[in-house]
Amino acid sequence: MKHCDKCNITIETKQQYCPLCHQVLSGTGDADKMETYPDYVSPRRMILPTTKKVIMFVSILSILILIVINWAGFDGRYWSLIPIGGILYFWLLVRIGVFSRRNIGFRFASLTVLLIAFMILIDFEGESTVHGWSIDYMMPLLLMTCNLAISTTIWIRLLDYRDYFLYLLVIIVFSIAPIVLVFTKVVTVTWPSIASFGVAIAILLFIVFFFPKSIKEEFKKRFHA
Amino acid sequence: MSVKTTDWFRLDNSGKIFPEVSNQRETNTFRVQVALTEEVDPDILQMATLGILDRYPMFKVRMKHGFFWNYLDYNTKPFQIQKMSHEVCSALNPRENNCYLFKVLYRNNLIAIEMFHSLADGGGVVMLLQSLVYEYLKLKGYDVSPDNIIKTKYERPVEEEYEDANSKYYNAKNRKHVPEQRAYRIKGTMLPDNLTGLISGTMNTNEILELVRSKELTMTEYFAGLMMHVIYNTQIRYRTHLKGNQAPVKIFVPVNLRKHFPSETLRNFSNFVKTNMVMSRDDITLEELFDHAKQEFKNGMTKEELIRKMSENVAFEKNVFLRFMPYFIKRYALKIGYNMLGMKLNTMSLTNIGKVVFPKSMEPYIFDVTAAVYSGKYNTVNCAILSYRDKLKISFSRSILETNMEREFFRHFTDKGIDVSIESNFVEEFV
Repeated sequence: MKHCDKCNITIETKQQYCPLCHQVLSGTGDADKMETYPDYVSPRRMILPTTKKVIMFVSILSILILIVINWAGFDGRYWSLIPIGGILYFWLLVRIGVFSRRNIGFRFASLTVLLIAFMILIDFEGESTVHGWSIDYMMPLLLMTCNLAISTTIWIRLLDYRDYFLYLLVIIVFSIAPIVLVFTKVVTVTWPSIASFGVAIAILLFIVFFFPKSIKEEFKKRFHA
Repeated sequence: MSVKTTDWFRLDNSGKIFPEVSNQRETNTFRVQVALTEEVDPDILQMATLGILDRYPMFKVRMKHGFFWNYLDYNTKPFQIQKMSHEVCSALNPRENNCYLFKVLYRNNLIAIEMFHSLADGGGVVMLLQSLVYEYLKLKGYDVSPDNIIKTKYERPVEEEYEDANSKYYNAKNRKHVPEQRAYRIKGTMLPDNLTGLISGTMNTNEILELVRSKELTMTEYFAGLMMHVIYNTQIRYRTHLKGNQAPVKIFVPVNLRKHFPSETLRNFSNFVKTNMVMSRDDITLEELFDHAKQEFKNGMTKEELIRKMSENVAFEKNVFLRFMPYFIKRYALKIGYNMLGMKLNTMSLTNIGKVVFPKSMEPYIFDVTAAVYSGKYNTVNCAILSYRDKLKISFSRSILETNMEREFFRHFTDKGIDVSIESNFVEEFV
């Protein structure tokens, strides 16, 4: 035991000074005794943030340059939106698709919605004279793919299937959008929308028939007030 | 019906606010730690933890976002104990521990539980730790018995342990909001990297009890009064003219409501009493502060007052606008509410967990018990007190470099001839 003559306390430590008054301790400690609390271990040097900073700097600079060029030679079209959308899409893809630890259902659902949004942007802001391919083909087919992807995940990881339900339901609700567009005659090619809607309804029926309790439970949890 | 391990739980009243107001510095975690008389075997501790978690479905959870409120959903992933690092009451990292809201730490002869405040308060954690230590000793092959003090893994969890007792005992008619003034803040040099300093002193319980009783006070009243005197002496005295020193010194003392209401809940069920005094005078004596603390405790511990404070919080939560506000908006409302009812209104917190009792058969294996609460930007020094047999352990955690509060506090006792032995994590060495 060591002793601080100033504070009149005893302490068992290998340090030479009193933690209260920072004066030198007298007496000798027990050499075999370990310190009560662990030593400091400095946190690992983070390599990622520097890389992130560089990419972020380049992205923001590019966006600014694109806006300036578009504005300087403005001819009635906002073409810079497409590369800017591309840059933002890249960021969200990395953020949600690669680094996010959220569950895979969430990642599938949000990346699909993002991709659809980006495709619609290219479709309607692009140079091409052929418009509408994004909502004719891309949207319904992407939604269908996402539906199947989440369902497959649930199928494979049956153990915690309840975690993914919410996202499956969200995507199924989104799958109604193409069929609405069919009825409002915005979509000219109807078969992808109808197929996508059919798949969504099939999956929904499957859940309702085989997991009715889980659905109810999940709703209760997510929407309790 | 008993609780299954696949249930989900609503957050309790106090638990709802913490997820939104916690960050790396204000972690809202606290630690209860047991020192055994022998070295801890991590493998056996891991087994004991897994065994005990089935007894406590309430703790086998992770936090999830709902549309209106966060909630606790059962966690299917395994729990992993961790080696104690230099961090004390640090923020929980969901990647580190499969999203569990507490940690089990070990080192040499120490077993510690650090818990996020959304899940439980000190009372609940002490129960969990008792069970864990019992299970550990049992697996080690020692002849220990639970003696109705400890909840073992063979019991069935009961519903009462999971109730939100605040909403059960609250009274909608007695919920007047009393506006409060911002409290005095203890100043110092902030420690970098969210480090926390920990200094605990062990004294003899009986000696202190004798001292406290000679003044006709309870232990908590004595410490609250003494703490105010320490703050006065180290921070305010001789500088009473400064503007910041005109703010009242308020010591936040949690009250375990399980002792006042018939509840067995493991979740948050505590309220508080506060001392409240503007200390910008030159002639404040210790006796005067003892009287003040005694008076505040007398006023604050009446049933009406406890229910009023409880109802004030519950009423905030039950507000229809708040309830049906989507969560992404609500989080800002919660932050504002917390600033009204929360942290900046306290100078420091002084938690008296009280006596921790282990069965006779376990006592030879347990050296001492320690508690600590986090310290942050506003409450830079906090104190937790706990007694086990004849050891009274007072732990200061601090987010500032200065130790004069601790020094003056313990010198008060050594001047009276009471032996104090100190432990420290020597946070000075880290910076």
